[in-house]
Parts: sequence; C-alpha cells; structure tokens
Amino acid sequence: MPHEELRESVPVLTFPRQTLVSLLVFAVVWEALSHLAPYLGIPPFAVPSFVRIARSFTTITPIDIAVTLARVIAALFVSFVLGLALAMAMYRSDSLDKYLHPMIRLLMAVPVVSWILFAVLWFPGVEFRICFVLVVVCGPVFLIDTLDAMRGVPRELRHMMQSFRPTTWQFFLKLMLPAIVPTIFTSWKVNISLAIRVVTIAELVGAVTGIGHQLSVAQELFSVADVFAWTLVLVALLFLLEAMVARAEARVLRWRA
Amino acid sequence: MTGPPPIEVRGLRKVFRQTTTGQSVVAIDHLDLAIAPREVVAIVGQTGCGKSTFFDLMIGLEAPSEGLIHIGDKSPYADFDLFRGKIATVFQQDRLLPWRSALDNARLPLELIGLPEKEQRERALAWLNRLGLGQFTNAYPHELSGGMRQRVAIARAFAVEPDILLADEAFGHLDEVTAAELRDTFLQLARECGSTAILITHQLEEAIGVGDRIVVFGKSAKLLADIHVADWPKSKYRLLREVIQSTLQSNRPDPRLTQGTNMRSSPRKRGSSRKSSKSAR
Repeated sequence: MPHEELRESVPVLTFPRQTLVSLLVFAVVWEALSHLAPYLGIPPFAVPSFVRIARSFTTITPIDIAVTLARVIAALFVSFVLGLALAMAMYRSDSLDKYLHPMIRLLMAVPVVSWILFAVLWFPGVEFRICFVLVVVCGPVFLIDTLDAMRGVPRELRHMMQSFRPTTWQFFLKLMLPAIVPTIFTSWKVNISLAIRVVTIAELVGAVTGIGHQLSVAQELFSVADVFAWTLVLVALLFLLEAMVARAEARVLRWRA
Repeated sequence: MTGPPPIEVRGLRKVFRQTTTGQSVVAIDHLDLAIAPREVVAIVGQTGCGKSTFFDLMIGLEAPSEGLIHIGDKSPYADFDLFRGKIATVFQQDRLLPWRSALDNARLPLELIGLPEKEQRERALAWLNRLGLGQFTNAYPHELSGGMRQRVAIARAFAVEPDILLADEAFGHLDEVTAAELRDTFLQLARECGSTAILITHQLEEAIGVGDRIVVFGKSAKLLADIHVADWPKSKYRLLREVIQSTLQSNRPDPRLTQGTNMRSSPRKRGSSRKSSKSAR
C-alpha cells in the first residue's frame, strides 16, 4: 500500500550535502579566525578554537540539560492542554470567543522580556516564574493555531458528521481533533523553537540550574567557549525535540498522500 | 418487525436572512408532503429551488421557520438525539474522513451509536463486502477511486440500517456507468433494508429510474407535481421525462401530468418486491 511505503520513506533529520558543506565552511572560517585573532586585534577569548570549545564540552553538566528539558516539556504540555481546551470552548461559544480573542491578541503582543519582569515581580518561586513565562508565551500560539484549524475544518465534513447526530464530545473526538492534528504538529514545532529560546532567557533571571543559568555563569566568566558549548547543546536539544515531533508526525499522519 | 415511521411535512416554511444584504429569502414556502414507510421518493427541482434546504430540514440540522416535519410523531430537529442511528445520509461528495480507512469510515456511525467494537467491525465489513470493497477495507480514501469512495459512503449510511435514508445528489458527480451501477445498488439495498429513501436529484433519468414517486419542486420548493411512477408504463417514460421538464421550466404543472392517472389500467407495481428483512444484519 502507498501509505506503507510512505511510512518507511519519511526523512527525519536528514543532512543533505549542501547543509554539511555550509557547516564545514563555517567551522573552517571560525577556526581560522580563532588562530588569526591576535593578528587582527581581536581578543583571543572572543573567538575560541574548537579545541577550547571541546574542552568546554567536558564541563557540560547533564543535570542542567535535564532541568531545562523538563521545564520546556512540562510547560509545553501545560500550554498545549490550556490552549486546546480554550480553543474548543471558543469554537463552541461565539460570545466567549468575542471576549477572549482581543485579550489573547494583547497577550501575544507583550514582549518576552516584559513577561519575565512581571514574573519576577509577581511570583517568588523560580520554577513557577519560568513555567508562567513559557505558558504565557506558548499557550496563545497553541490556542490561536488550533482555533483557526478548527474553523478551517471543511463545512462538508462538519455537516456530514452532524447528520449522524454525534454528541458534542464525539463531534470533537471523532472529527475536530483528528482534523486539526496536522496543525497541532506544526504548532508544536513552532512552540518548541520558541520555548527553547524563551526558557534560556527566563533561566537567566533567578534560576540556579538549567542551561540559561549556565550561560549566565559563562558570561560572568567571559568564557565564550562555554557560551558556545552551551549554545550548541541548546541547538542540539532543539533539533532532537523537532526530530521527535517530526517522527511522531510521520507516524500519525501516514494517511496523507 | 416495526417498519420505518411515516413522514409528514405540513405547512413547512423556511426563511433565511442573507448576512450581506440583511434581506429575507424564502427557501421553502408552505410545503405539504406525506411519505409512506418504505417508499422511495425522488425529489427533483432546478438549482436553488430549496431541495438542499429541505434535505437539511429532514436531517434536523435546520429548524423550520413555520410548519412541521414529523417522522412518526417526532421532529428531527426538536428531537434530534432520538434519531441517532435512525436517519442516514449520502451526500454529493463522498465526505469520507481522510484519516480513516474505508473500514473505519464505514463504522463511524456505529461508533456514534455506541455499538461494541466487535459488532462495529463485523457490520462495517459486511457492508463493505456487499458493496464489493472487501479487498480495500484498509485503504485510505485517497487510495480509492471516486466510485469506490462513494461506495464507502453508501456502506457508511447503510451500516446503521436506518429507517430513513437521505441522498443528496449522491450519484450526480460520477460517470454515467458508475452512477447507474451505484444507483441500482443503493435502491436494492434500500429495499432490502426496508428503509424509506428520499433522493434529491436534478437528473430526471435518475428520478424516473429510482423513485416510486417523483416530487417536483418549483421555486421556493412549491410542490408542482407528485407523480407515482407506477402509474406510467415504461414505454411512456420518455413522455414522463418531457412532462417533468416542461413542469420545471414553466414552474407550473404540465397538463399532461393527468395522463399518468389515466394509465392506471396497467399499473406496474414498483417496489412490490421489497423485502422487509434487514438482510445485512
């Protein structure tokens, strides 16, 4: 069957030749710059060699990676559940939609830094602060995406489903949720990238664990090599999470042509 | 076995307010119609005559502005949930859920009525087999041809063995051979199931070929003619077609319609071979 073939052939995290070449060029330029830095008037610590960066990797503490990852995943799940629940309620109720929509748009317009400052001023607990910032940034994205997707479910399919007289719960479970799954995956991918960036900033303020905190420490020590190493960890984390979502997407959406 | 309940439409009126202009549009204007249990009724009319509005009212998705539709003594709109599993529909497009296999699409209404999973599978499989799709139960809609998809949609409708089957231009988009074949299958299954069937169509051949009765709608679903096809001998079908066409074009009953009643000397009793048993059970 074609979908069986599709399942086998979906590429997840593949590196085409062009990607490898561009990464290689960047690495060569960086390494050359690190050696030429003294002659170009650049302080040596500003462009560390890959050997120095590799040394920094040995100081990476897995617990900080685990903590940041746990914060991101937990906050994303909370944001998703809240976003989906509110989207369903707003889809069902026009008046709720009319009241909430402007508020959601307003929340989305507030810069992340402002949220972090609000969180610091409002909440004493560090974990709650970080979770709050992530949820308030990612939740509206989930909400708006899923609400738009629900509204985009073809009228013909809604009509067909209603003609068989489902309960409200069946209507969402059998039609709306499966219909919006592609959008949910896209939303997850967008939000993973957003959450990784936001969690780092949130951890800079007050946290004593996590990648953001380690970046802050590296900055205080003027260690560009450490910053580089932790940044690479963040990027790898992002790629890993995206690859996991892409794999799940390929499995769940194998019905697509 | 209790058969499907009779359908009574009395003084039915449906008025829509256009969102852009705010003007009222009368889609159906005082329609009276009675449909006997197990009757196969074809409703014909020109585009925009209110056929699809009538379809939505019959399903219970719209409320009448005035008048009533009673199936038995219940309203499909006011008593919406009472008709779960009693009314099934086949639409112009197959309207299959693309993420479900043919089998899962066919069993959708059975899931909604809460049948045990084993029974859902067995029933859906039986209907897919009857419709010649036994080899394609795991195929997704995009892997099937238009005719096969419509067969799945028919299997989905019949799976609940409904009292009332509604088909809205269900075969109009298919090629002539496939449409004729599916029409015959649909009719045969409806008769075997003992369901009342209402087919909305703009194709006169389809209406004459399928219906025990042909109900001709004029503008705003004005009842122009209510023709018992059995009153017309097969040799006069060409004339019947002309008469319906003329009725539709002039928006008033063609005088030759009375000929049908004069031909009752040799009536063909259509639908007499109906079996009341629900054969696919």
